[in-house]
Formats: sequence, structure tokens, C-alpha cells
Amino acid sequence: MADQRLKRALEALLHPLAAIVLGLAVGALAIWAVGGSVADTYTQMWNGAFGSAYFAGETLTRAIPVALAGLGVAVAFRSGFFNLGGEGQMVLGAMATALTALYLPGPGWLKLLAGLFAGAAAGALWSWFAGWLEVRFGIQLVISTLLFNYIADLFASYLAGGPFKDQTGQGALNQTPMIEPSARLPKLSATSDLHAGLFVVLAAVVAVWLWFRFTALGYELRMYGSNRAFGQYGGLRESRMMAWAMAVSGVLAGLAGAVMVLGFQYRFIDNSLTDPQYAWVGLMAALLANANPFGVAVASLLFAALQTGGMGVELNTNVPMQISSIIQYVVVLLVSVKVGHWWVRRRRRQTQA
Amino acid sequence: MQMWLNASLFTSTVQMMAPLLLAALGGALCARVGLFNVALEGLMLMGAFFGVAGDHFTGSPWLGVLWAVVVSAAFSLILAFLTLHWRANEIVVGIALNFLALALTTFLLRSVLGATGAFYDPAMRGLPIWTLAGLQRVPVLGWLFGYTPLVYLAFAAAVAMHLFLFRTVPGFRFRAVGINPEAAASVGIRPARAQYVAVVVSGVLCGLAGAQLSVGDLTMFSQGMTAGRGFIALVAMMLGRSNPLGVILASALFGLTDAIGIRLQGFMPTQFALMVPYVVTVIAMFFFRDKYLRPLASRG
Repeated sequence: MADQRLKRALEALLHPLAAIVLGLAVGALAIWAVGGSVADTYTQMWNGAFGSAYFAGETLTRAIPVALAGLGVAVAFRSGFFNLGGEGQMVLGAMATALTALYLPGPGWLKLLAGLFAGAAAGALWSWFAGWLEVRFGIQLVISTLLFNYIADLFASYLAGGPFKDQTGQGALNQTPMIEPSARLPKLSATSDLHAGLFVVLAAVVAVWLWFRFTALGYELRMYGSNRAFGQYGGLRESRMMAWAMAVSGVLAGLAGAVMVLGFQYRFIDNSLTDPQYAWVGLMAALLANANPFGVAVASLLFAALQTGGMGVELNTNVPMQISSIIQYVVVLLVSVKVGHWWVRRRRRQTQA
Repeated sequence: MQMWLNASLFTSTVQMMAPLLLAALGGALCARVGLFNVALEGLMLMGAFFGVAGDHFTGSPWLGVLWAVVVSAAFSLILAFLTLHWRANEIVVGIALNFLALALTTFLLRSVLGATGAFYDPAMRGLPIWTLAGLQRVPVLGWLFGYTPLVYLAFAAAVAMHLFLFRTVPGFRFRAVGINPEAAASVGIRPARAQYVAVVVSGVLCGLAGAQLSVGDLTMFSQGMTAGRGFIALVAMMLGRSNPLGVILASALFGLTDAIGIRLQGFMPTQFALMVPYVVTVIAMFFFRDKYLRPLASRG
């Protein structure tokens, strides 16, 4: 019994591991092609990701928004919906958090909690809205969530550069004023930027797992996600499933933005969440982990390490840091073959139902 | 109002719509054989980069276009191979390819062209403007002329695709594959072959679209310069019901929106003006809620 389970777990791990090894091989090819030293580049990458307490802390810090956004994608994915709008949900969440923490009167802890709540709520609303448009008007989620990213980014950029712009410091940057110190998430380390958002991630991982595993609604969503026709036959309504899946997915993406504001930047800075592609890296992590919440956390750490390692490569070699992204997307492409198999099986079941 | 409704609005509409039209036609051909090609954006970006790289290294914008087409078509083969041969999910592969294209072009921009953010070479020539013997000076209809050859090609490609799909036997077979692959296979049509062809042709068209952006409109490449045009093209394809002539109309709508958006920048905050194409695209989606593309997209 235990043997069987161990064997299955190993099999589930084998595929992503093979993809990672192949991804690194393709990365080596790219490094070699532009005349870099493969061994040196990968050494710098490792050092940049885990070479010291500082770098390890930076990697963990970077994994925080990635994991939260990835969990959001995983929730929707497990329920059978493709939420490609994590970026916009994250940005609006961050903006809502920043404005709440800045302008809500009251003690610091209240601003902090209200900020987290506002971020989650903004992400949930924006995400739910896309879901509602599909259920009500047949506007496809895959496209609407993509386009919503641009709209959300531009809107937040307008707010940060217009009505809520910080007028004190350097005028060139589009950013809100700083949040007061008492409303910030505490730092966890004296040497790096690691902040208490890490606990939000850990809580979210466990909560998502418990939700899918032990609640009736989680069970319904899982059922609906693995076989939509069966779910509908069993009386599950698409509107309700969509609303829950998208709202919870948006809550997680919104929280990703919220903890970045409260724990890392202490203000909303235009483009600071979109340039590092946190939400998209999270989506890739969810794909690599096949939407398993614990797997998402591990995959997020892996991809965050690739990215911080990429900065080490950038500083110490002639190879551009985008080498990390190349490796990451090659890994995802290789993993998609497996995901695809799973999807085909699912569809076959669906057509038989 | 006067400065709005003049011939230059039409001219910029045609300029804006050409890359959208080329990419949307590629998407439409894929949709006709039952594939939802989300990778248009990445394919276009590859085309845009290699158009400029080819122009820079060979000194000829035409060879640049050729590079763009070849690389973009090769890139599309990855999509075809993973989704058709390995049965990977087309949306997952499409999204990953879009980001791979962004990473790859930025990587090459820096390591091969040695530029950060954008590459511009004053010695580089862009595609010529074909004025067709000064026809662009004809009153009232002058806006119909005076574009790069790729713009005319975009319209020609739409007409050609229309004739192919609805007036030829291979076109009929293509459509049969999209409607019911099993039935098509049962009468001896090979669905996988039609699908491979469609994906590679979409790669060629997106390569042209990207080249039009980089060596046609601007003669430069900047990081991520497609800025979501591939996704707007996807909606143009849906709005045009994957019908080449319908796709022309839909692309014209989005081209016009783009052109108006640029003009609006003087009247409202830039961000709202830039938002216009995306908002209009979402609104446009209200109009094809029914019909046959629904199952295609919700399958993902």
C-alpha cells in the first residue's frame, strides 16, 4: 500500500524533473550559442539564487508573490477554468491595498488588515467579473482575462501617475506615497528583504489544500474540473462553480499584490509587479506542479531561484539574464506535453459521459 | 472634430490594421482546422525581431522580411509538433511560446545586437512605400494608396484565403477537418497534415505581420513591441467568424480604434487612450457569444 503510493508519487515527480533537466540542457545550448561558458554561467546562477543567506532570502522573497499568484491559477485550473488574468488581478489588488493602507484612518494593525482585505477583494472582484461575463454573455475567459490585464495595468498606472501620485520625491516615478511603518508587514531577516508575506503563502497553501480536500464546495469544484459533463449531470451549475473558482483565484492573486505592497515596496510603484512577470511565472509554476498546492509552492521557489540566479548571471557574466526565462518556458513547454496527456484523457472521459 | 475625420485617419487605420489582419488570418486558418492558436502574439514578436535583425545584418529590408517569415514559421512548428504530435494543450503551449518569444527576442537583442530595450540602426532602411505612380495624391480616395508592399499583401492574402477556403477542393477539405476530423479522416483526408499546414502558414503570416511592425512601420525593434496585438488579432479572427472577408472588417474596426486611440492622447490621460483598443475588443466580444468558436475556446 505504502509502496504503491510512494511509487505513484515518484512517477508524478519524474516528469517535471526530466523537464527541468532538459530545460537546463536547452539553456546550456543557448549560453554556448552566444559564446558564454556554460559551467561558469550555471555556477553564477546557483550563487545568485542560493550562494549566501542574502541571496537565499531574496529568492524566497521573490517566490512569495509567484506562489500566491500560482495558487490562484491552480484553484481555477483544478475547477476547470483557465484564469490568465492573474497579472491584472494582482495589480489592482496591490493598488487597492496601497490606497486602503494610505487613506484609512486608524491604528497601524487595522490599516494592515484592511489593506490585505482590500487587495484580496479587488482581485476577487476583477476576476469574478471576467467569469461572470463568460457565464452571462459567453465572453471567453481565455481572451477576456488576457485583455483585462492590459486594462487593469493601465488603470493602476493612471492612478499612480495621476490622482494618487507621490508629489514629494522624484517626480519622474509613477508611485503612490509610502505607507506608514506601523501598517507594514514585519521583516523576517536582518540581511535580506524577506518579509512576513511568507506566512501568508504558507497559510494559503494549506488553506487551498484543505479546501479542495475537505469541504463540500472544494469537492464540487474538483469534480466539476475533472469532468464538467458529470458535474452538470450531478446538478452543479456553471454560474456558481465559475463564480467561486474565479473569485477565490482572484483573492489569491490580489493577496500577491497586497503582500508586495505591505511587505516589500510599502507603496504602489507603476510597472514594479508587471516587469518581473510574477503572475505569469506563477501560472507557469501552477502548470509545472499540475495544480497541486504544495507543488505550486515548490515550483514557485524553483522558478524564483531561476530568476534571482539570472540576476547573478547578468552581473557576473556576459550572458543576459533572460537566459533564466528561456529555461523556464522551455521547462513549461516540456511539461505541457504531460499536462496535455492529462487533458486528453479528461476530454475523452467527458465525451464518453 | 474636423481634425479627426480626415483622410489621415483612414491612412493610419490601414497602417494599424495590416499587422492585425495578417496575424488574424493566420489564426483564422488554424481555427478552420480546429486549432485555437494563442501563440499569434509570440510568432509576431519573433517576426518583428528577425525582420530587424535580418535587415541589419544583410542590409536589405526584403531579406529581413524573409528572415522574419522563416524564423516565425520554424517557431510555429514547435506549436504544431507539441499540440498535434504530442497532444499538448494548445492554450498552455501557446501562452508558453508567447513568453518564450519575449525572453528569446530580449536575450538575442542584448547578446547579438548588443542593445538594451530597443535596437535602432540609422543605416538600416525600412520597407519602401509603394505609392503606385502617385495615386496617393488622388483626392478623396488617396488614402487607399501609399503603404508598404506588406500592407497590400495583407489584403491580397485575405482574398486568396477566401478563394482557397470556399472555392477550391483542398480548401473544402480544410474546412471539413475543422468541422469533424473523424468524418474527414474517414473519407481519406489527413487531418494532422492539414493542421500542420495551417499552423505553419499562420507562422508565415505572423512573421509578415511582425516584419510590417518592425521594418515596415518603424525600422526598429523594441522589447515586447507587439504589446498584445496578437491577442487583439485573435479577437478579430473570432469577430470575423474565421471568415477572411469578415476578418478584414474586424481588423479594420480594431485598426480604426487604434488610430482613434492615438488621437485621443491629446484629450485625456494617456493611459485611458491606450486602454481604448482593449476595451473595444472586450466590447466586440459581446457580439459573437453564440456560434461555433465558443466550444473551440472553452475547450481549453
